[in-house]
Amino acid sequence: MSHVDDGTLHAYLDGELSPPEAQSVEAHVAQCPACRTRLEEERALIARAGELLAQAAPPDRELPPFRPGDVKLPARLWWQVRTPLAWAATIALALGIGTYVGERGVPPLEPTAPGRPTIIADQLARPAPAPGPATASAPDSAFAGQRQRVAERRLRVSKQAASPAVGGAIEEKSAADSIARREAGPLTADGYLASKAAASAPAHREMAQLNGYRGTVKGPPIGVDSARLLLGADPLVVPDLPVRGMYRGRQLGYSAMVIVEQALDSTTVIEVVNGRPSPLQLAEVVVTGAGEARRDTQSAGARALLNTRAVDSAAAAPRPAPTPAADEDKAKRTASGLFVEVRGPLSPDSLAALKRLLRPLRP
Amino acid sequence: MSDVSADRLAEIYRTTYRALVRFLYRKVWDAERAEDLAQEAFARAVVHKPENARGWLFIVAANMARDEARRAARERRHLTLLTAESQDGTPTSDEVFQEEQERVQVRAALEQLTPRDREVLLLWDSGLSYSEIAAHTGLAPGAVGTTLARARRRLVEAHEAGEKGEHVARG
Repeated sequence: MSHVDDGTLHAYLDGELSPPEAQSVEAHVAQCPACRTRLEEERALIARAGELLAQAAPPDRELPPFRPGDVKLPARLWWQVRTPLAWAATIALALGIGTYVGERGVPPLEPTAPGRPTIIADQLARPAPAPGPATASAPDSAFAGQRQRVAERRLRVSKQAASPAVGGAIEEKSAADSIARREAGPLTADGYLASKAAASAPAHREMAQLNGYRGTVKGPPIGVDSARLLLGADPLVVPDLPVRGMYRGRQLGYSAMVIVEQALDSTTVIEVVNGRPSPLQLAEVVVTGAGEARRDTQSAGARALLNTRAVDSAAAAPRPAPTPAADEDKAKRTASGLFVEVRGPLSPDSLAALKRLLRPLRP
Repeated sequence: MSDVSADRLAEIYRTTYRALVRFLYRKVWDAERAEDLAQEAFARAVVHKPENARGWLFIVAANMARDEARRAARERRHLTLLTAESQDGTPTSDEVFQEEQERVQVRAALEQLTPRDREVLLLWDSGLSYSEIAAHTGLAPGAVGTTLARARRRLVEAHEAGEKGEHVARG
């Protein structure tokens, strides 16, 4: 009888042979000292390989709870496929911020105040008096002219961004960014990142992770369970809209942040930003940040994608200040203690309407 | 059995999640990332309700890890810089350092295996049966034992050679 080959010995030791096969191996080994020796050698080899692999194991953590929610992911690999529009929007968002900061010449708000960043878009649309030095300057004719130029530039850029000539948009963005850096005083985190992104062409991927939401960095895609764990609650989403993906977000002042991408239609993507403020920041928000923050319903870059007529009319005839709405401040922070924002290439009213629809992913 | 009920998937999650993380970790070498990817794989299983969920999960995970590796290759220079920084800046206890060294050595040994040998070894270590491994890799079921025998031998030999090399370098 022929000897047992290595593969069969391993299959035998792994318990992967059928009973008749195993019996045949045992019968041979019983009367073949050479194969008996090999069997023990292979047994030791298997044990040793197992030990080595155990040394290359991740830390053993507690099993996260499994909640098969009603997540609806498109069949395609959504973390790989980004629509050209989303890409264009990202560039335009980055440009919008740079332009805004440059135009106003106002030191950027501290990114540590949650929600505050969102003031940007609102003020672009409605340069109305409001508390704080950031909005103190009343629109005069020179200012309106400047706005006009900004609007024109934005229109040009949004066209470029929508076309394949992305490079042009990056250059444009880079110019705006340099203005922002020159005039904006202290460099903010996203100003730094944006300038980094603009500095080298290969680094433009970094920019794709940046977001119009000041200081928010969009991290890796995560699953719904990770999102729940991070937030300690169900992320808020717009019901009945397909979820394209969830991403871990980072922003100063938040101990956890989850960005949920939802498809409004085939070309429009909105982002629902769920943030859990870090405990220290909570008080600060209530005292100083929230009043300004809530007035935003739209990010700066989202506007850049829109018909610029809205910007122009805003520049020509500033609307009155938005109604004070302390009650909405409360609405902004949800029952679960999360701060949420809806962002996307939509009008402020639409975004506000979407925000009112927000519900926990699974009640 | 056309699809998998939520209960069945929850059971698979309970029994397979850690193995899937381990499998992914040995491909991406980042525990947090491995967990994220494993979560993603399960999230997709919830949607797709694959017939053979366990095998399906490992195939999806392997694909995600491969995409991840391509992305990582593009960013390698950046990552190398970061790693160098964190190693300089973070004081580690002897024990942690020792564990890290061992991990690095096993990783180096694993990387000397052929991709197929490595895949079979990692799948077996994740608890897949020979027939599941055969289905995953396209190997004939009878060839899994042979491949596994070779993979284990090469892993142990490459690891010993690595240790020896280090001693020579030190001494």
